[in-house]
Amino acid sequence: MLSTVYSWFDRRLRIQSLTRTLLDEPIPGGASWVYVFGSATLFLFCLQALTGMFLALYYVPSPDAAYDTVQYIQHEVQFGWFVRGLHHWGASAVMVAVGLHLLQVYLYGAYKSPREPMWIVGVALLLLMMGFSFTGYLLPWDQNAYWATQVGTNMVASVPLVGDLLVRLLRGGASLGALTLSRFFALHVLFLPALIIGGIVLHLLILRRVGPAGPWSEARAQQRREPFYPRQVFMDAVVIFAVFLLLCVLAVTIEFPLADRADPSDHSFTPIPEWYFLFFYQFLKYMGGPLEPLATWVLPSLFVLGLLLWPFLDRNPERRPASRPMALGAGALFLVAVFVLLGISLRNLHAMPKGEPFVARGQTLFAQHHCAACHRIHGEGGKIGPDLSYVADRRPDRQWHVQHLQNPQSVSPGSVMPPFQLEEKDLAALISYLLSLKSGVPATPGT
Amino acid sequence: MTSSEHSCEPSGTNEGGIPAEPRRTFFIWMIRVIPSVMGISLVIPLLGYVGSPAFKRREEVWAAIGKAEDLVPNEPQELEFSRTVKEGWRTAIAKKAVWAVKQSNGAVTAFSPMCPHLGCGYRWAASARQFQCPCHGSVYDVTGKVLAGPAPRPLDELPIKIENGQLLVLYKDFKSGLDHAVEL
Repeated sequence: MLSTVYSWFDRRLRIQSLTRTLLDEPIPGGASWVYVFGSATLFLFCLQALTGMFLALYYVPSPDAAYDTVQYIQHEVQFGWFVRGLHHWGASAVMVAVGLHLLQVYLYGAYKSPREPMWIVGVALLLLMMGFSFTGYLLPWDQNAYWATQVGTNMVASVPLVGDLLVRLLRGGASLGALTLSRFFALHVLFLPALIIGGIVLHLLILRRVGPAGPWSEARAQQRREPFYPRQVFMDAVVIFAVFLLLCVLAVTIEFPLADRADPSDHSFTPIPEWYFLFFYQFLKYMGGPLEPLATWVLPSLFVLGLLLWPFLDRNPERRPASRPMALGAGALFLVAVFVLLGISLRNLHAMPKGEPFVARGQTLFAQHHCAACHRIHGEGGKIGPDLSYVADRRPDRQWHVQHLQNPQSVSPGSVMPPFQLEEKDLAALISYLLSLKSGVPATPGT
Repeated sequence: MTSSEHSCEPSGTNEGGIPAEPRRTFFIWMIRVIPSVMGISLVIPLLGYVGSPAFKRREEVWAAIGKAEDLVPNEPQELEFSRTVKEGWRTAIAKKAVWAVKQSNGAVTAFSPMCPHLGCGYRWAASARQFQCPCHGSVYDVTGKVLAGPAPRPLDELPIKIENGQLLVLYKDFKSGLDHAVEL
């Protein structure tokens, strides 16, 4: 039955000869585990597209609803946590895969003639991928998303002359808000996918026209030729399967938490970019003052331009790594710089006094309820009520604080403090924050 | 696809000493199995993901509509109340109304405010002591029984209870036009 249907179509569409063309692509030097990164990247892109489509079933791109819909996906939809987890970890994995793919092509000199167009399209795909990451990061509309995008868009403003215009275009206005969210959403799910699918098709089309580069040694390339199917397909499938399993394990074991709902008035929040932007984040810290524009746009622009034109800048026709000390040296230097910056940044993040999330929540509540209008903490705030810089030294008892917040006069007769009706969880968080204010503890940033 | 099509495949035995043919069969087998395993492990959660809200039972929330003591026997009153409706991620407050009647025997009944005929809003005509629907002239008595008109069934009763003197009602919508009440 199935074979009858197949042959009916085959007679009309010549499927067999098509699959043969697709699968019999000859690989110089034979199949190799080194050539799997492109396929792994393509697989991860497809997985992102699939999980993204499913996330869009429930997601709503509006500041009023976005955060709630993501919470809903995470906590109420069956397997919602799994789909979101796959999409989150998939985003990181795609960056790793693209990076490894680029490194392999670079090391093997596979960008050299006649494969320059393929390299250029590849760099464009890398940029589009970063566009996905940048636009996608805003969508959950939590504190991290909001403030990281605030910083990201502000960097564009440092471009001379057109910077201001660019930021307005990017944000859909002067400030980050509802219009930013809807355009980032549209970019993330409509414009960028259309562009990147075109780019991927072009990338693969060029591959079929110029053929895979194969090993760097001409002698080894001549030794044997092997079709893409089945050994290379098998290797690709095994690696893809391993990547898929890894993502599933990550999605199941490590929940990617949402921060608090985006609060444009809470300037105490310190956003941290995704790990693949951390090296750049660290770099920016060293480039303060007059050097800043250099870091925010001059060097990134030069780097992208250099990367795009690299096949024309590196005119050495040799592909063997041993004969390309300059190119490999430059590449190694860049890698070392990136990893050193990443390392420093990770170490700093690790060393940062990590307030309990509960305490951080309490601190947010302290700001939201305008406690600082009357109370002073380390020199900031009003003078009507007692200074709270070291309140836990005087009042270490949690129960006292519970009563005091709910009915100040009951424990502190004559107090002018109004009662605060908070939900139990918020009350506990606020008190945890108050109890963290004691001598011998460094002030939390932002207070 | 058979191996004869791939003349460039090294024949005989290779490094591992395993004949090429079984190895090739193994590759092809794996190429089929791996995508199938991945497909199944994605399809199951994704089906649950798509289907879960469709089969979720609606949450039942008792809404307070007023005080039991405020009702006068045999004098129906239209009581308005706000009800929190949860649609997936969205929590909305919907205004609803029910007709509450303290019957002669002291029990309180609540009627859905929609005429069971075609869903119009009916009203209490105090002088005639009847519920009358303005759309197609259905008429009901104070217990909800049909007295006249095209109505196929009595007024739809809603579950009601009294707690601490508060009237609590479980609001529901019913299909109109049927001879028995079917919840929507």
